[in-house]
Amino acid sequence: MALRKGQKVEVFRRSGDESWEPYMDKFIGRHGIITDPDTSINDPESLVEVSLDGMGTHRLPQDCLRVLEA
Amino acid sequence: MTLTQCPVDQTLALLCGAMEENRLQHPRSRRIAGQLIAMIEDVASGRAGSEHLPTLERLADELAGFAAEATGMALGTEVRLSLTANHEVFASHIETQNCAAGACDRLAPSPCQMACPAGIDIPTYVALIGEGRDAEAIETIRRDNPFPWVCGLVCTRPCEFMCVRGRIDQPVAIKTLKAFAAERALSLGHYVNPPQAPPKHRKVCVVGAGPGGMSAAYYLALNGYTVRVLEALPMAGGMMMVGIPRYRLPREVIDREVAMIEALGVEFCFNTRLGTDVTFEQLRAEGFEAFFLAIGAHASFRLNIPGENDFPQVTQAVDFLKRVALGDRRLPGQEVIVIGGGNVAVDAARTCLRLGCASVTMAYRRTLSEMPADVEEIEQAEEEGVQFSFLTIPVAVEGEQGRVIGLRSLKAQMIAQAGSKRMVPEPIKGSEFILRADAVISAIGQRVEKKGLEELQTLAWTRRDTIQVHTATMATDLPGIFAAGDAVTGPATVVEAIGGGKRAAAAIDRYLNGLPQPSMPPVPVRHHRAAWTEVPAATKMALKRQPMPLLNMDRRRTTFQQVELGLSENMVREEARRCLRCDICRRCGLCVTICRDKMKVDALRLGYLDFDHPGPTDFRWTQEHCIACGACAANCPNDAMQMEDRKGERIVHLCGTILSRQPVRYCDGCGQAIGTDRYNAFVRQRTQRIAPVTGNRVYCEACGRRQSILDAHDVHPMD
Repeated sequence: MALRKGQKVEVFRRSGDESWEPYMDKFIGRHGIITDPDTSINDPESLVEVSLDGMGTHRLPQDCLRVLEA
Repeated sequence: MTLTQCPVDQTLALLCGAMEENRLQHPRSRRIAGQLIAMIEDVASGRAGSEHLPTLERLADELAGFAAEATGMALGTEVRLSLTANHEVFASHIETQNCAAGACDRLAPSPCQMACPAGIDIPTYVALIGEGRDAEAIETIRRDNPFPWVCGLVCTRPCEFMCVRGRIDQPVAIKTLKAFAAERALSLGHYVNPPQAPPKHRKVCVVGAGPGGMSAAYYLALNGYTVRVLEALPMAGGMMMVGIPRYRLPREVIDREVAMIEALGVEFCFNTRLGTDVTFEQLRAEGFEAFFLAIGAHASFRLNIPGENDFPQVTQAVDFLKRVALGDRRLPGQEVIVIGGGNVAVDAARTCLRLGCASVTMAYRRTLSEMPADVEEIEQAEEEGVQFSFLTIPVAVEGEQGRVIGLRSLKAQMIAQAGSKRMVPEPIKGSEFILRADAVISAIGQRVEKKGLEELQTLAWTRRDTIQVHTATMATDLPGIFAAGDAVTGPATVVEAIGGGKRAAAAIDRYLNGLPQPSMPPVPVRHHRAAWTEVPAATKMALKRQPMPLLNMDRRRTTFQQVELGLSENMVREEARRCLRCDICRRCGLCVTICRDKMKVDALRLGYLDFDHPGPTDFRWTQEHCIACGACAANCPNDAMQMEDRKGERIVHLCGTILSRQPVRYCDGCGQAIGTDRYNAFVRQRTQRIAPVTGNRVYCEACGRRQSILDAHDVHPMD
């Protein structure tokens, strides 16, 4: 998935990535906006910066994110 | 406790519930409970002082010890237990005026502040800038971010993506406002450091003078620690200095803000590489008790194609940008190919143009829509003359007699990957071609250089070859060793590194004082509830985001002068007035619901309230439809919506946006204000069946009653 800056996303599941920490479980179901996708190599494995509504900005693995609109 | 639960709010609800349900019968119990409610309401609304918590504890003890009423005793005990168990949360509400859970309306941070990785109190500083109080704005910013000017120029601005104004038209230009205020405050000599804590005589070593390292140094120095920063380069700034070109971020900007950190007593050791010039062992022997690794991601991924290592004209973008930043401004070649589609690739290409290269082509394996670089950066590169070769896969660097002559490439087509929607470039057989070039710059990503950290043999690394940390504290698994910035996140943003450095500084302080570490990253702290600026609804709607003036094209192609020229003072003050003050209006929608569903007036068209499905917004609509009944204001939990009478007018405003302004009518009998014509018509329409009509005269309730009796008997008082 190549995410773009400004896309609305949902944290729809827990990620199996090693960067997922227990406190991030609270993010599941939250909606947010991609604020800094991988700006260097367009890598589906890279962590992306997401600003979650009411939960702050975090760098999350892409496999837990679902795009809400194009 | 989940994030949406706040012990302060819960304790308040417990007490209010007991009072409303009349569970307390004894007058003394009810008096104490009432006092407890008043005290907790102060805590929940940011009005509490240092005496509130001891008073609450005393009152809870008093209620728990009042034997005449068992219910009161149980309630008092429950409140006392809550105060004890959540002492930190109550204290935090009082000291920081912040509700981490966002349950206490007045104390919840705004979306922009929540979005900022450094947690800057954005609505406050935007309001201050709007009033021309730039120095105070910078003081507010520097509580959370020691680099307001740098961030004002190069921040990726997550705040603007979450800006609620963006749901109406375009977000407030928060980044640009910050740059203006920082420049103005520095120019006038009003840019000062906050007061420092007394020296603790404890030493912390920061490795790397980038944004993360220097932010940690700033907060540690403010907290009284002795800080030494080791930097391998001959100057401070890290990637801000050697990765971001001067046309985006002038060196003077970095130097001035670094000087402010140095003024706090932070010691900088340049040209000092950890592991080579100094070791952990030596530093520990010198008395350093904690270490913060902010070494950045300065190494590059390789292309791994034939010819890559055979010619001196093939370079890595990071090395090229560093060379230029350090003063070597020789041309890499006349015809340059930059491989990659990210921000670093665009920076390298635009830098080549400024050095005087005749042609610069960016070769990217996907299409324009997949380019990961910022859209604005791509547009500006295109304007300046950078060419693009999309769907181009490099296969070999071609050369003759030790010089590059071109880049052998294959054309690609985008195809869907099996089992995935992701489109990937696939080389087209037989499509080989050569892009002519005498220099090739590779910009396909950076990685963390592990050299220098060999001493830390048990330091954990992620599969992405970044340092593994607990992101709530930025602590590694090694005691006393913390890390942040690109070394942890991989190539990321300046403001993220600043946030990481700040978080690490707090965690280092706890570590050195033997305090337990938090399990979640901190919630931004609101410092102030700045007064709003009054703006008429029409103006609020009409004010559009100010466009950024740019340097003329000839200079952009030939010099390293700053491309973005900044806004004028007038533009800045106007832009600040666009802010909706989301630190005050929490967008609960109660006003809209009451106006539409209870009053059946539907005078509020505030579609921006919904994050997921924003609808149309028009503040001007209210002027046409509002009856100024005040139901919205009376029910607003945060006093964001207010109604007041001024000079014969009844004004309804939302965080200073004047939604409705109508003449107030006065009672023909006693002269008391009795609402607007629309309001009186609304009341009359609803009561005409039960109340006698009093002609064209307008009365207050009491005078109306008296007059209707007189009218019914056709008796008129004698003058």
